[in-house]
Amino acid sequence: MNKNQIPVGPFHPLLEEAEYFNITVEGETVTDIEMDIGWMHRGHEFISEQKTFTQSIFLVERICGICSTSHPIACVHAIEDIDNVEIPLRARYIRTLVAELERIHSHLLWLGLAGHFIGYDTLWMWAWKYREPILQMFEIISGNRNHYGMMRVGGVARDVDVDKIAALSKILDQVDEKMEMIAKAANDDPVLKSRLQGVGILKHQDAVNFCAVGPTARASGVKIDVRKDEPTDAYDLVDFKVIVLKNGDVYDKTVVRLLEIFESSKIIRQCMKKLRTANGPILNSVKEIPPGEGIGRYEAPRGEVFHYMRSDGSNRPIRHKVRAPSFNNIPTYIASCKGIPLADALITLAAVDPCYCCTERAIRINHSAEGAQPIDLLRLSREKTERIRRTIHGA
Amino acid sequence: MGWYNKRLAKSIWVFHMSGSPCNNCDIEILDLLTPRYDLERLGIKLVGSIRHADVLLVTGIFNQKVAPKLKRIYEQAPKPIFVVAIGTCPASGCCFKDSYNAVAKREDILPIDLYIPGCPPKPEAMIEGVAKLVEVLNG
Amino acid sequence: MAKMDQFFAEMGGLIGKTIRKPKRIYFDVDKNNLTQVVEYLFNRMHCRLSTATATETYHNLEVLYHFSHDASGDYYCPRVLITDKQKPAIPSITPIVRGAEWIEREMFDFWGIEFIGHPNLIRLLARDHPQGLDKPLRFRRDK
Repeated sequence: MNKNQIPVGPFHPLLEEAEYFNITVEGETVTDIEMDIGWMHRGHEFISEQKTFTQSIFLVERICGICSTSHPIACVHAIEDIDNVEIPLRARYIRTLVAELERIHSHLLWLGLAGHFIGYDTLWMWAWKYREPILQMFEIISGNRNHYGMMRVGGVARDVDVDKIAALSKILDQVDEKMEMIAKAANDDPVLKSRLQGVGILKHQDAVNFCAVGPTARASGVKIDVRKDEPTDAYDLVDFKVIVLKNGDVYDKTVVRLLEIFESSKIIRQCMKKLRTANGPILNSVKEIPPGEGIGRYEAPRGEVFHYMRSDGSNRPIRHKVRAPSFNNIPTYIASCKGIPLADALITLAAVDPCYCCTERAIRINHSAEGAQPIDLLRLSREKTERIRRTIHGA
Repeated sequence: MGWYNKRLAKSIWVFHMSGSPCNNCDIEILDLLTPRYDLERLGIKLVGSIRHADVLLVTGIFNQKVAPKLKRIYEQAPKPIFVVAIGTCPASGCCFKDSYNAVAKREDILPIDLYIPGCPPKPEAMIEGVAKLVEVLNG
Repeated sequence: MAKMDQFFAEMGGLIGKTIRKPKRIYFDVDKNNLTQVVEYLFNRMHCRLSTATATETYHNLEVLYHFSHDASGDYYCPRVLITDKQKPAIPSITPIVRGAEWIEREMFDFWGIEFIGHPNLIRLLARDHPQGLDKPLRFRRDK
C-alpha cells in the first residue's frame, strides 16, 4: 500500500500551541510519527542564570501558564535542597493547598479539550464552566487568576486567613457537586466509553522504557507519584490515594485524571481544616545560599517536574536545569500511535496532556511536504464519534 | 475604508496565533468563549483559518524560529486585518527580553494595532480591548 | 538504604569521588564506564531516568545524569567530566534507556556534545532554524 505523509502544523486549528507533526500513514493506519519542536523555545535556563534566586522563581512561573505553581514549587525545593532550609508548618499547608487547586483546574482543562477533540462540545463547555470557580478561588488567595506568585524560598509570599478559608470552602462545596455530575455523565455515557476504550494503548513496558511520568505512566500501571515517593510540603501530613490503572488506553488516562480531581479535593479540605488552627509564621527568611547543588521535584498535574540548581555562593545560580513532565511524555507517541487508525490519532496525541511551552521552555512548516494532502484531523475524529453514536443509539 | 470597517465591526471573527507564549494568554482567550464570559453573544467567533479572519490575536514574545511563520500567516490574511497583541510579552518582552532566541523588534514581524497588557490580562480586560477596537472601527 | 549499599558494593570499583546528602548521591564516573553503571541502575535497580544536565565549568564540560529510584525516593546522579571542550564526545545511553533520546538531543543542541552511538542525533529545538545556526544554542551569547 502507498505510504502518505500528513504534515500537521505548526499552526493548525486543533493545536493551541505551535507544534509540528509529520504523520506517516498506510491507508488509514498510522505507521510512524515524527515531531519537530522548538517553536516555543525562550531560553529560560539561560535567562535564569543571569537573575537572582528570587527572580528565578518569578521567571519559572512563566514557563507554562497551566503548571504555574508546579514549576515554582520544584524550583524552591531545589534551592532549599542546597541548604536544607526548614519551612514553617503553615507555609507547607498553603503550598499544598495552592498546588492541589491547580491540579483540579488543569485536569478540568484537559477534560474539556479532550471532549472538544472527539466532538463532545457539551463536555468542553461544562468542564470549563466549572473550572471558573477554581480560578475564582485563586483570585481570592493570590489576587490573580493565573500566575499566583505565591512561592518564596523558605515559605510562601501571602497568607490565607480564616475569612478567606470560609469563602474558599463554600466555593469548593459547589465545585464538588458539579464534579460528581461530570464524572457520572462521562462514566455512564456508552458512546464516550466505546470511543475511548482500547484507543492509543501505551504498554507498561513502553511506559518504563520511555521513562513516562504522571497520569500517562499511572494509567499504564507504573506506580509513581512524587507526592508519595518523596513527600515534601504537607503531603506526609495529609491522607490521599495514588490512582493506578493498568490498561494504558485513553479511557484509563481519563479515569485517572477524573479520580485525581476527587483526591485533590480531599487534600484541599484537609489543608483548609488544618489552616484554621495551625498558626505561625509563613516565611523563614533565608539570608544566603551556600555553594552546592540541589534537586527539587514536584508532582505537577502532568507528572514529575524536575529542577536542578547549582550555586557558587553568590546570589545567582550558576546552573539551572528545568525538565518538564511533557518532555518525557511526548516521545511516548511513537509507541502509542503506531498501528492505530488516523481518526484516533488526534485523541491519542491529546491524551498525554502535552504542554509544549513546558517542553521547550523552549515546533516547523515542512517545505518539502508539498503535494501532501492536508487532512482535517478534527473532522475525522468527530465523524468517528458520530458513527459510534449512531450504532449505539441505532438512529 | 470607513464603510467596510463599520460592517466588519458587527461580527468580528478572530484567528488565534501563538508566537512562543507561556500558554496562559491562550487559555484565557479560550476562556472567553466558554459560558462565563461567552463572547459569541457579541458576534465574536474563533475561526480555524486565517482566511476567514478579521482580527488576528497574537500572544508571546516571537522567537526566531516561529517569527517567519507568523509573518507568512499575516501575509496570507485577507486585508484589512487588525492585529491585537495579548499580554505583556508582545508589548514589552516581559521577562524574556534578554533571551538569545527572541526577535529584537517585534514590530518588524507584525504591525500591531492594539496592545492588551497584563500577565495574563483578565478576560474583562480583553473584552474591553475588543470593545475599544469596535469603537475605532465604527469611527 | 540497603539498595544504596548494595549499589556501592557492586559498582564501587567504577565510581570516583562521591558526595552523599540525604536522599541524593552524586558520584563521578569515567566515560568508559558510563554504560555499565547506567545499565546497572536502569535494568537491575529499576531506576527511572529523570533527565540529564550538561554544565559548563571553567575548564570542562560535565554531564550529570539523574536517576530516580522511585521505591525509596533516592536520587543517583552519575557525573561524567568531558575535558576536551572543543570536540566534546561521550557514549550514548539511548540504546539502554529509550527515553534518553530527546534528552541527549537537547544536550547536543545546547552544548554541542556528541553522543557516540545515538540512533538519531539531530538538533531538537533548533532544527531547521531560519538563521542556520553553526554553533550550539548556549554559545550564541558570544556573538
